[in-house]
Amino acid sequence: MSDPILVVIFLRGGADALNIVSPTADPNYIAARPDMLRVARGGDAQGIRLGDGLADVEFRMHRNARELADLFAAGDLSVIHATGLTEATRSHFDAEAQIERAASGGEAGGWLGRWLDAEAPGGPLPALAVGTAMPESLRGYHPAVAKKLSDLTVATGHWLAPALQARLADGFGDHGALAKTSQELLALSKVLEHRLWMPKQDAFRTYRPSVKYPGRNRLSPALMTVAQSIKEDLGLRVATVDYGGWDTHANQQGTFDRNLRGLSLALMAFWRDLGPRQQDVSVVVMSEFGRRLRSNASGGTDHGRAGAMLVLGPQSKGGRLLGRWPGLHNDALEMGADLAVTTDYRAVLSEIMAGHMGLKDTSRVFPGLDAPAPGLFA
Amino acid sequence: MLNRRAFNLSVLLAASAAALRPDSVLARTQDPDEILLNRLTFGATPGSRERLASLGRADWLKEQLSLPPDDPALMAHLRTLTLRIKYAQRKGKSGPLWAATDELRPLDMLHTPPEERLKLTQNAPARAGPERRRPAHEVIAASLPRAVHAEAQLREVMTQFWHDHFNVYAEKGRLSAAFFPDFDRDLRAHALGNFRELLGEVATAPSMLDYLDNSRSKASPANENFARELLELHTLGAENYHNAQSADWRDVPRIEGGLAAGYVDEDVYEVARAFTGWSIGVGRRIGSAHLPATGQFAYVASWHDPYQKRILGRDFSSNRAPMADGEEVLDMLATHPGTARFICRKIARRLLIDDPSDALVARLAKEFLRRSEAPDQIGRVIQMLVEDPEFADTPPSKLRRPFELLAALYRTSGARVGSPEGRFYWQLASAGWRQHMVPPPTGQPDRTEDWASSTVMVRMIEMAMSAHEPWFDTTRDRLDALMPKDVETFGDLTRYWARQAHGDPGDGLDDLLQAVGVMPEDPLPNDAGDQRHLAAMALTFAAMSPRYLYR
Repeated sequence: MSDPILVVIFLRGGADALNIVSPTADPNYIAARPDMLRVARGGDAQGIRLGDGLADVEFRMHRNARELADLFAAGDLSVIHATGLTEATRSHFDAEAQIERAASGGEAGGWLGRWLDAEAPGGPLPALAVGTAMPESLRGYHPAVAKKLSDLTVATGHWLAPALQARLADGFGDHGALAKTSQELLALSKVLEHRLWMPKQDAFRTYRPSVKYPGRNRLSPALMTVAQSIKEDLGLRVATVDYGGWDTHANQQGTFDRNLRGLSLALMAFWRDLGPRQQDVSVVVMSEFGRRLRSNASGGTDHGRAGAMLVLGPQSKGGRLLGRWPGLHNDALEMGADLAVTTDYRAVLSEIMAGHMGLKDTSRVFPGLDAPAPGLFA
Repeated sequence: MLNRRAFNLSVLLAASAAALRPDSVLARTQDPDEILLNRLTFGATPGSRERLASLGRADWLKEQLSLPPDDPALMAHLRTLTLRIKYAQRKGKSGPLWAATDELRPLDMLHTPPEERLKLTQNAPARAGPERRRPAHEVIAASLPRAVHAEAQLREVMTQFWHDHFNVYAEKGRLSAAFFPDFDRDLRAHALGNFRELLGEVATAPSMLDYLDNSRSKASPANENFARELLELHTLGAENYHNAQSADWRDVPRIEGGLAAGYVDEDVYEVARAFTGWSIGVGRRIGSAHLPATGQFAYVASWHDPYQKRILGRDFSSNRAPMADGEEVLDMLATHPGTARFICRKIARRLLIDDPSDALVARLAKEFLRRSEAPDQIGRVIQMLVEDPEFADTPPSKLRRPFELLAALYRTSGARVGSPEGRFYWQLASAGWRQHMVPPPTGQPDRTEDWASSTVMVRMIEMAMSAHEPWFDTTRDRLDALMPKDVETFGDLTRYWARQAHGDPGDGLDDLLQAVGVMPEDPLPNDAGDQRHLAAMALTFAAMSPRYLYR
């Protein structure tokens, strides 16, 4: 087995967890939302039942997340419900910043950045942020940022590439924003050119996944880049993928149903594509917060509090709903409106870092965390 | 074309680092004029250098602060531009809904009145999506030509700043797209003006009302989307969000005059109630209300939640005059010291440095509040910033963001810009810059570390190499034709592009000459294609230096 790898998929915008993994029989749930914004026990919108539920409450997975339910049934996927920030915030910016920093005492960097900085893994590509921007969780480290691996090469194939590369290597010195970027980029470029560039064809070798990914799906190309990076043995330890579009204040149904379908299909394709490399990988799916229990007057839901986290991987013991379900009756809601947070999201991340990534002293990454592990590996 | 085999690759590899030693370029003192142009415009041009030299810095700044938008030359240029619209035929049950279309069309939507554009949003007659989104696409298509050619450069820089600040995802919906030209015009008109007026335009702009869902917000419960971003992103900023410090809204500390120092979730809920009924004249019945067919702001009294509210510690009585609740909220926010600090810090971050000193921000915020009634409030803050000793004492550290780099490249070359296939949008998108198409309300980030990534760097190099290629589709001017006739040798070539890019030929691009394997006095090849290619490489080498990429 190779070094363990962590893939973090962030659902930007505040995913409506109450419409992904849902207490379908709870009368408070049924009363708070129109049919189109909740999972049903029967009929066309019937959700898929998840085992024995949580604390004797029946839970169902949204019908558009069939593949996630399959992974749950196969014992690969765990759901931790009612997770989130212990300090209340309903601001995207604030919640994302806090969640990705994961530090109560104002420690520098993001949680993944702190781990990478301390661990200093070798290899040409220890950390990859798929996309065009680095998430806050990687702050404090200098990850590669790209949508595809060939985007990490400098003027490959151009006759002036060596001179241009020399200019970059020398021109940016050892300070300024581009100093480190240029050095690391040039080193990585060399490796990737060697691996992926076909001079005769004057082109990069395209990645051929072992299964077909769903088309017209924003998540597929990103997860293919992660799968390729893993299979190319570039020393990848951490990859982050952003999947946006969950801020559904109005006319939620169409957008939400499409987003969830995309997540479910693409994640399943990625998982199958990994084949035997599944052994090395854990995937965490998270968001900055959940949404209000009661829908608003424009067919949407406003910012709420607790959400749900999904953990996929053979190292953890899947097929279970974890956490403590606070219930949805008015007294149990935070400020009478939102699903209350009963599991500190850091407890989930911390348990993965210990159980999967082999981190012994988790207090370095999650300073001040004092919450029991939800039991992913128990 | 120059063949890569024409050059000795081993020479090329050995040539590496001759002229450029680490930090030598940064250490070279930069001309304050050049720095000023790089900060307040989309890049220096020979013309702007001359103007600044003849007026002096103070008068040049005054001129920039007073130039109106839309100079005649720019308007004439925009009228020559086209943008392709292309879609397939669609058949309905009773015949074709629309015919296949593929044409280069002028940017007419920029001058079409809103009530005409309103028709694009209506269900009947059926229209193809690209027709409905056309107004937004035309604003995007015009944005780069404006940045490159506008005489009022500072206004253009600040227009982009306000687009980042008051982010609207132009294609979010039919309404946000149809009325995006009005939003763009309003931001430009008020870019250097009064913040309260600007804020009022934004809060009533149909594009914003659609983007942040306020156009559907009615009692009750109100839609909180606009209210939250108004507080968090448009005015007070997340730095004044007191939710973590104050569990209860009664506990938020007060400032002089009795207002709360910051906001908590309860303020969001109450502000949302204050803006219920602020909607768009879409010309149809929605529930109980009939909205006028204006394509402009419309207030729906029957949707408004008229009862008492408590916002930032101030009590609002019930049943006030139409829009009085929302207007008062905007008044309170526009003159709040927290807003002054937040806005001034962002302006200093845009025009000077990522983390301006607290002292500088305090000086600017004081001016912002003192001038809150002035029609040129924002301009006065900028003037104070530019005249502040910290402005001159701060070395360039801001990385040009992809849009700014692309605009600068064309200003350096002197090319006329227009993108009939709209391809520059996609080139920028691959570098993470989605002009007017950023879905989350935070907009494009403005910290250098957010853009100093591997992928952006790769894309910037590729843009420099290919911005003038025909396939890049953004200018018809070719680099060989843009060079004066007296550029005859390789030395002339490299000195010319260094001077265009940096204002002086100091960086002689010796590494390029060595890589090509020529001496400065060697004559350029006669072939126009070869010259073009060499000029692109000289431009790339000149651009890929700290003095060009940092401002």
